[in-house]
Amino acid sequence: MPPLAHEPGHLGRRRFILTLGGGLAGLALAESCDVRWPADEAAGPGWAPGLEERLNSTCLVCPSRCGIRGRAVDGRLVGIGGNQLHPLSRGGICPRGAAAVQTLYHPERLRTPLLRVGARGAGRWRSLTPNGALTFLADRLQQLRAAGRPEALAVLAGYCAGSMDAVWRQFLRAFGSPNYVADAYPDGTDAIMAAMHGIPQRPSYDLERAGLVLSFGAPLFEAWWSPLQAYVAFGRPGEERERHPRFIQVDTRFSRTAARAHEWVAVRPRTHAILALGIAYVLIKEERIDADFLARHVAGFDDWLDDRGTLQPGYRSLVLRHYRTEEVSAATGVPIERIVGLAKMVADRGPAVAVCGADVTQAPDGLPAGMAVHSLNVLTGNINRPGGVLFRDEPPLAALPPAALDAMTRRGLARSPVALPAPLGAPNARRLAEEIAATQASPVEVLLLYYANPLASSSDGATWTAALSRVPLVVSFSPFLDETTSQADLVIPDLLPAERWQDGPAPASYPYPVWGIARPLVTSPGGGRSTGDLILALAARLGGTVGASLPYVDFEALLKARARGLYDARRGMPFGDEFETEHQQQMQERGWWLASAPDFEAFWTALVERGGWVDPFYDHTDPTRLARTAGDRIELIPQQLRRQADGAEARDPYRFRTDDDRTADAFPLRLNPYRMSTLASGTVGLAPWLAERPTTFPEVHWIPWVEVHPMTARELGLGDGAMVWVVSIRGRYLAQMKHFAGAARDVVNAPYGLRHPDGTLANPLQLLDGATDPLTDLASWCTTFVRLERA
Amino acid sequence: MPRWGMVIDLDRCTGCAACEVACKSENNIATVAPEQAALGRTISWMRVMAEVEGEFPNNTLRFAPRPCMHCDNPPCVKVCPVEATYISPEGIVGQIYPRCIGCRYCANACPYTVKYFNWYAPTWPESERAHLNPDVSVRPKGVIEKCTFCHHRLQKAREEARAEGRELRESDYQPACAEACPTRAIVFGDLDNPRHRVSELRHDPRAMRLMEDLGTEPKVYYLTPRT
Repeated sequence: MPPLAHEPGHLGRRRFILTLGGGLAGLALAESCDVRWPADEAAGPGWAPGLEERLNSTCLVCPSRCGIRGRAVDGRLVGIGGNQLHPLSRGGICPRGAAAVQTLYHPERLRTPLLRVGARGAGRWRSLTPNGALTFLADRLQQLRAAGRPEALAVLAGYCAGSMDAVWRQFLRAFGSPNYVADAYPDGTDAIMAAMHGIPQRPSYDLERAGLVLSFGAPLFEAWWSPLQAYVAFGRPGEERERHPRFIQVDTRFSRTAARAHEWVAVRPRTHAILALGIAYVLIKEERIDADFLARHVAGFDDWLDDRGTLQPGYRSLVLRHYRTEEVSAATGVPIERIVGLAKMVADRGPAVAVCGADVTQAPDGLPAGMAVHSLNVLTGNINRPGGVLFRDEPPLAALPPAALDAMTRRGLARSPVALPAPLGAPNARRLAEEIAATQASPVEVLLLYYANPLASSSDGATWTAALSRVPLVVSFSPFLDETTSQADLVIPDLLPAERWQDGPAPASYPYPVWGIARPLVTSPGGGRSTGDLILALAARLGGTVGASLPYVDFEALLKARARGLYDARRGMPFGDEFETEHQQQMQERGWWLASAPDFEAFWTALVERGGWVDPFYDHTDPTRLARTAGDRIELIPQQLRRQADGAEARDPYRFRTDDDRTADAFPLRLNPYRMSTLASGTVGLAPWLAERPTTFPEVHWIPWVEVHPMTARELGLGDGAMVWVVSIRGRYLAQMKHFAGAARDVVNAPYGLRHPDGTLANPLQLLDGATDPLTDLASWCTTFVRLERA
Repeated sequence: MPRWGMVIDLDRCTGCAACEVACKSENNIATVAPEQAALGRTISWMRVMAEVEGEFPNNTLRFAPRPCMHCDNPPCVKVCPVEATYISPEGIVGQIYPRCIGCRYCANACPYTVKYFNWYAPTWPESERAHLNPDVSVRPKGVIEKCTFCHHRLQKAREEARAEGRELRESDYQPACAEACPTRAIVFGDLDNPRHRVSELRHDPRAMRLMEDLGTEPKVYYLTPRT
């Protein structure tokens, strides 16, 4: 801002106050003296009115990928608001999105590539030019190919849905490596859908048209796939619609979602699935299930004869045998009449959609527990129907050209990946770390980290420390020196979202395909290059199969080439207002399509100006969106699971343990880690606006905290606000203890992803007991016990 | 002449605090250090108040976003010795920072505790100064600051409407909090204009104002929760 210029003859503020003398007499005096603040007083030499620009873009700070509208003045981003045209967020924004301006100008942000010069982790670096970094990396990759070991290149990526994911896959394929691991917030729901529907994708939830949203531990208003989607469904209908969805939250703690849902059902940890089956029991007993749907589309509901002629119990028999209401009430702590009431509401207030959250699936028996929750949707036939569970398409983007392959590439791709997938999951970061750490000569020689900080965000920190020490070259693209980046050999910082081209498809939870475009809102003051552009430049530098497979001058060109697929698909439209969107939807329902632009150039311009593309039509009559199993039926007792499990469990997937192995009395409290809406994903510290008030309750500022029931705290002799060590058999961390009446007596609620003001991570995940779901490899978040010690 | 006011539907508020952060971004609100925050010196013109009641597992919670009430009969204006706090003809209670002498009478007089004192000069790391909104001045040490209903936006919207030769529309002037709210719990407009939603909503049977018995005539209405 221009400095204030005080000209002779004008009153400065101090003289002005002295002149006043105080009170109204002073005011009269001031008026008589004709005190003014001339407009040109603030204008120093060279001052000119700021040039203001407002541009639509897509927020990339969480998977929701909401529409944003940035306001830039003189090349500085001064505010981020919502894009009214974005079909998911509709002009709304969350605190993290609004605070992204502080992250953009964060003083600790890296501006230039860094090359390690001291020991790993010692913090001694040498700056490189962007071209120098590119040359360094290209040379090392050339060496891998020269040595005939292209498979020794591995990429660990965080959540990067969209074209960055496609580019990484293409780059590795053309290079000749099968080692791509995308650690994209796995929650096991894709494995549930693969097992029951034969459709290996995350489900969509039509929350807006549901009559009842029954969430089992899904943090809909906090750190769900798209809190904005839930906000819109919860808050928007109001008086414009006759009825709007009733939200019921089944949760172990009094979360913000539980607090704002219309009802909160408190359950004991690890009993969400038991409650779901208790509700199923009442629905079956009272014959409030969709018998027609079950008969036509579902297998495994009734008993059946297996290949050996043995009678196998079906879902109905299992539920009626094991989930009598009294037993469910005793296990979950939910009164019988409440269970019956929930079942009645599911039956009467349909369409009722049961949403399964990571609280359910991040457990040793997480997959069957998630199946139990989803079985409610099957019983009520609420699949592929308005207000139910949907399986939508991805945006029909033009594919990248087929990867060019030569002999070496083929040899590399034929090698077994370092990280083999879980039985019902994808290759994951934990398996990658274990395999690298297991041998002295690492199978990975160059590891690229893209928005991945496993030392902080996984429960396998020790394994990752060992793994990183064995990899000869670790390269990170993080714009901040986070825990893992500090251990890297080369850092080539990415630009922040407001400075780069990228795409942001809506998460699977949203029932329509949306392709948001993130475009530069301002130019990076330090120059630099986005990782997308860098990989394209790297491909060009490497040439050969890699260069031929990624023939784009930059990421904007790549996005534009892919957008041609949308234009040619003759469906959907660039973002429009509600009237335009509704019109397009109604036309497509009737088999018509409204062209939005005369040619592709105009189409692309509209996409960029409006922020993206949406297809507002969902075909509820398409049977392939119901089931793609061998028998084209939804399997309540998945055959795939029976083959995997082999043994007693195969005959009865709906049995759950609730008795955890407490480690005697040394660790009397159950640790309940949770993600919060202002979570910084363990990579970036919270923006100061968020850190000074990370949540609206309890009352906390800056210091990471844990929530403990006041009675429990008193028994431990710990006052509200005391600093404590949270200790498990695996480790400990420091936090402030807050008395919270919404915590169960034997539980410590621990938000994840927070840092102390000095940057130290307060990480409850490093305390986890190491248990996993053997089918999905997901770490268990609910079976660890801790004690609190005064710090 | 318009009379600007706000209606907040507590049935729709999820306590996400988007309004708080949008306000801080729009109005260049400085962050205070952790130890000062512990003393209750955090500045938050818009603040989501939360009150947890009951015992596990029978807890309930009440959220209430709380900006300045922009009272028609504002106690803060009456006590200001230098007329730094004033009420505009359109009902916006503003603060003239160069006039404020930091006596804090207004902060004590305000029953809604929405006036904040700058105990320290606001500071930002040099790089962070880039995101300061040029439409809003930063406040010096020793003065009171408060929610202004983003009246700099009103000035701008009015100029634009005048330049286009038309009347000011409801959507032209919205404070940052109302604009950001993802559930549209915050509705803003001219309380006396029947074409504005606030005018209709403030007559809703659920509408109430905070501490009405004090006679402050707040222009922020709350729609009480149905459940």
